[in-house]
Amino acid sequence: MKKDIEKDMELNNHNNTETSLEQDRAWADSLLNKQNLVQFNLSTTKAPIHYFDSFPDQLMSRIESEKREKLEKKKAAIFFLPSFMQPINRWAVAAAFIIVVGGSFIFLNNSVSKKAQAPIVANNISLEQISSEELESYVDTNEWIAEIDVQAQMQKENAKLSSLDAKQIQEIEKIINK
Amino acid sequence: MASDQELIIQFQASTNREANFTALLKKHQQKVYYQIKRMVTDHVDADDIAQLVWIKIWDKLDGFKMESEFTTWLFRIAYNETLNYLQKQKKQGTSPSNGDLLDYENASASADSPKSTEIQIGLERALTQLPEKQKVVFMLRYYEGFDYEKIASIVGTTIGGAKANYHQAVKKVEAFIKQL
Repeated sequence: MKKDIEKDMELNNHNNTETSLEQDRAWADSLLNKQNLVQFNLSTTKAPIHYFDSFPDQLMSRIESEKREKLEKKKAAIFFLPSFMQPINRWAVAAAFIIVVGGSFIFLNNSVSKKAQAPIVANNISLEQISSEELESYVDTNEWIAEIDVQAQMQKENAKLSSLDAKQIQEIEKIINK
Repeated sequence: MASDQELIIQFQASTNREANFTALLKKHQQKVYYQIKRMVTDHVDADDIAQLVWIKIWDKLDGFKMESEFTTWLFRIAYNETLNYLQKQKKQGTSPSNGDLLDYENASASADSPKSTEIQIGLERALTQLPEKQKVVFMLRYYEGFDYEKIASIVGTTIGGAKANYHQAVKKVEAFIKQL
């Protein structure tokens, strides 16, 4: 217990002071044994013979091959695209699209305008071209429409007459008597 | 030998890029390799990671503004690549192979002083089982002799945090060895 307290105090002292590299190493050496730490370093930092001699060349050739691969991928992407994806054919596709859309638009407009003209042609027929028999039959069949119109007109006129005052009525009577 | 700054300036000026890069590589390749290998212990893994680190350096050296030391940047990339590699292995469910560590253990089994061998093996096991950050901080401080400001910059912590990591690492390893 005392030893633990002492060690903690040492650790606190270690934290509070500006520790130099030598102090940090010495502290680790005291706890973990310097020889052991050296042995650890040796065991984990072993590299195969001539590894560092050949590493730069291996790395540069890998960088070159990756560069070449990237270029080849780009080229392959252009070559092996479907023909309609290539730049020239994109324009052809765009032109075809415009023609199809424009043509259908024009076609539809023409058909609409033809339909619109049909009733105008019918409205140009004059009354003189219609025979008197046709006119009479129209009036006979549509007499009830005419009656409804007359009645409606009479109702309107009656409404107007009822709203007239005495003076206005006398004036109208004078005109009628003349 | 030209300084890191001079080599980088010449590289960025596009004058003989390969030669300048190779000079930079030869200057620092061993330190980077050792630092990685202390984390992953297996040579094949360390070689893979080291290559990825230097390929990244090659790709990004044009944009390096020299606001920090080149070694700080280099070790930061090495640290991040090693962490990525270890995390990938964890996700795949494979633990990093301790090939070289096991070889050492087997070789040490026949040592004359078994107790010291046990302590050595215990130390190695303890260090490899530390959390990554504590392990890296300990390695960078003890073996590379970096100051805490540089270490903090490499692992992405404060100076106080780096100090704490170092002390925690040592205490944990000590406790582990005492159990043996």
